[in-house]
Amino acid sequence: QTVLVASDTHPDGYPTVEAVKYFGQLVSERTAGRYSVDVKFGAQLGQEADTVEQVRAGAIAINRTSLGPWNGLVKQTIVPSLPYIFKSTAHARSVMSGPVGDEILAAFEPYGVIGLAFYDGGARSFYTSEKQITSVADLKGMKLRTMQSDIFVDMMAAFGATATPMPYGEVYSAIETGVVDGAENNFPSYDTAKHSEVAKFYTLDEHLIVPEVLVISKMVWDGISPEDQAVIRQAAKDSVAKQYELWDAKVAESRKIVEGSGSTIVEVADKQAFVDAVKPVYDKYAADPELKALIEKIQAAE
Amino acid sequence: MTAARPRLRKLGRALSALSTAALYLAGFFLVLMTLFVGWQVFTRYVLNWSNAWTEPAAVFLMSWFIFLGSAVGIRENYHLGFDVLLYVLPRSGKKYLRTISDLVVLAFALGMVVYGMQLVLLSWAARMPTLGIPEGAKYISVVAGGALIVIFALERLVLRWSGVDIDADVNLDLDAVPDAGTVKEV
Amino acid sequence: MELWVLFGTFVLLMLIGTPIAFCLGVAAFATALYMKLPPLVIFQQLNSGMNIFTLLAVPFFIYAGDLMVRGGIAQRIIDFASSLIGHVRGGMGQVNIATATLFGGISGSAVAEAAAVGGLMIPQMKARGYGADYAVNVTSMAALIALLIPPSHNMIIYSISAGGKISIADLFTAGIIPGLLFALVLMLTAYVVARRRGYPTEPFPGFRRVGYLFLVSLPGLLLIAIIFGGVRSGVFTASESSCIAVFYALLVTVLVYRRMGWRDFVHATMGAVRTTSMVLLIIGTAAAFSYLMARLSVPALMIDFLNDISSDPLMILLLLNVLMLLLGTFMDMGPMIIITTPIFLPVVQAYGIDPVHFGVIMILNLGIGLNTPPVGAVQFVACAVGKITVWQAMRSIWPFYGASLVVLGLVTYIPEISLWLPRLFRGT
Ligand code: NA
Ligand code: NA
Repeated sequence: QTVLVASDTHPDGYPTVEAVKYFGQLVSERTAGRYSVDVKFGAQLGQEADTVEQVRAGAIAINRTSLGPWNGLVKQTIVPSLPYIFKSTAHARSVMSGPVGDEILAAFEPYGVIGLAFYDGGARSFYTSEKQITSVADLKGMKLRTMQSDIFVDMMAAFGATATPMPYGEVYSAIETGVVDGAENNFPSYDTAKHSEVAKFYTLDEHLIVPEVLVISKMVWDGISPEDQAVIRQAAKDSVAKQYELWDAKVAESRKIVEGSGSTIVEVADKQAFVDAVKPVYDKYAADPELKALIEKIQAAE
Repeated sequence: MTAARPRLRKLGRALSALSTAALYLAGFFLVLMTLFVGWQVFTRYVLNWSNAWTEPAAVFLMSWFIFLGSAVGIRENYHLGFDVLLYVLPRSGKKYLRTISDLVVLAFALGMVVYGMQLVLLSWAARMPTLGIPEGAKYISVVAGGALIVIFALERLVLRWSGVDIDADVNLDLDAVPDAGTVKEV
Repeated sequence: MELWVLFGTFVLLMLIGTPIAFCLGVAAFATALYMKLPPLVIFQQLNSGMNIFTLLAVPFFIYAGDLMVRGGIAQRIIDFASSLIGHVRGGMGQVNIATATLFGGISGSAVAEAAAVGGLMIPQMKARGYGADYAVNVTSMAALIALLIPPSHNMIIYSISAGGKISIADLFTAGIIPGLLFALVLMLTAYVVARRRGYPTEPFPGFRRVGYLFLVSLPGLLLIAIIFGGVRSGVFTASESSCIAVFYALLVTVLVYRRMGWRDFVHATMGAVRTTSMVLLIIGTAAAFSYLMARLSVPALMIDFLNDISSDPLMILLLLNVLMLLLGTFMDMGPMIIITTPIFLPVVQAYGIDPVHFGVIMILNLGIGLNTPPVGAVQFVACAVGKITVWQAMRSIWPFYGASLVVLGLVTYIPEISLWLPRLFRGT
């Protein structure tokens, strides 16, 4: 009778939270109740960077985060975080649930956690208040709020735009008042954070299709019998399809809402131009031969 | 203070210097934080480019500033307390309660040193985004602040049990800091 | 049992007068040891609870306040305001609330508000013979207006916690009338208390004098316009505006009033270090304490008890209000919103209560919790600025608690107070 405490920073009901709950349900059923999962959602146990340290130290058993907070630790996680690394959501899913995904999961182990599975964190695109982005040239000189990550800063520099970091809670009024020209995120966040109220142009450039990762603390893992370990691994893999299904429904719902409330979805005419523009970002990270090999594997995969 | 033995007085002077140094360093960090955020606004609005480093750097300095200032607060006794019981207890009882409080502070500060160190080691391998320094660096302030609090809490314990009346009132050079946000206890 | 360790240690240490930051920290530390959690998690939360960029507004507004007080800005603004409405009984209390309402349109943080307005007003009120407790209580209560009048970060947190089904624009608009109502009720309360205590009235000095004092105080008053205009026009964000306040205060005191020397500057800086490090340490240890509450499922336990009772929406709202007041007594606003919104909101929506309306109720309710010990960040700031203990403030805070509960009752049971304006804006 062991309760595994899990953290997820999204609110209750969010696809990742529901997927972790589903995973817990499977674990509980298949271990005849020897293990269960208590999901602490809504960043109750801290922001992602905090929970990464907690799961490494064994303070929590299971953690679901984006790859961002792992970038500075597990260098292999940088590759799926690169802009335009995946051709499409389908490509991303097939790569991350295949052998390349398993290779990246295995890279977590030296850092005190066992990688269990990758979820879909959605495709992130730019949205702006005044000027539509239809080409790379439109991005030049724009001030856009991005996540606090080196890859983002490098990508924005490559576009000739300015990455403007600021707390998430300030983004809405920063767009409204023009402190920034816009921001970038996936459809559900664009909708739920209400940024669609102030930034009407959503450009479908999909610069980032970023997987999310489910890990278990190695300290906890080592105390689990090999049979139960296998059950937990399989349950995690089995929760992935469920997460995809929930995620797709969420994206469709959010997209419908923002379109209904008057957002313009802008298609980019020449996506290859965006891909070409971020080449300097690849040059920087592909300097590492291991990462270079990984990049090539992903690009070669179907 | 005058009643104390000369060795204690010498120690007190050394710790005064340490406390003043910590206070001035915290003040310097406050000024630096102001400059960083000001620079962030200036570059974005006037020069039309953004610094990614100003925000994490200001936040990084803030925790140093808080722990240094808090440690000085232990020595100068300006932390907020809720001292209902101290009103009703006789003076001798107060001495024991104050001792317990200082021991509690000491225990927490030791935790800051020990577990702060664990945090530094745990996250040293990770890189902080933007700043590029080890993630563990953000916990050095916990260790340093904890160490200062340990020293100042020990000083209070030693002084009290050497017969120095440190609980009578706030021990502050009020002339030097007339508008400091000091809070008198009791 | 873990809960007993957590709360028992906390209450015991508080009673013997241990500084509150350490009551919270050690209670969390002891509970982690008892639960065999790696204790480093407590010290991690201590650090990350205070490492939030938006929190920089706290030291900056306190610092700007110190500079304004030392550099003569505060004095001139208050001279002007006092000449204007000082002839009302206890006029400085009214000036305090009016100023807080204006500042509320600039900042969304009640803590920063208490620091800014308190730093300005409390020393002046004390100098004019007002009790420090009165000045502190008026300040800490008036600071809550900032939570209701836009901008309000907490409303954004609420909207996100609600899974994004709620428009932030609507929430912002919904807060305006409750915010102004709160200001009005506080002014009435402050007036009654001031009358009972016989606080001074000052003779009306005549319009010539008022005009003169206005001109003299104009450089200071411009700060409000600069901050407001800067935020509205997008030169800087709300939390950056606190830093601009520091720069502007320095500019005016050094160049215009020529009152600020190097020595004054150093003293103001050290004063700000002392005040804010103490307050922010409490915010850090409160984060560690909250972490354990979340791990011990305290909010969920509270909800279980609610499920057994009632089918009447009025009753549910009453219960939720009591529950939030209880939780708000012990917990900080941000985590409270994030934890309770997903649990409470489905309940109230099932009873047909508008989520925008409930958001305003929650913000006001948890805002009151910022003024209740043991975990009351706004009250701590106001007490620190006023140089009194929380205990001293508590002895005369009751009329103000009463006033805020009256407003909470009105806002809870008359949805139109919140919903009329957003509907007007949407044209529905
Ligand atoms: Na506000
Ligand atoms: Na409270």
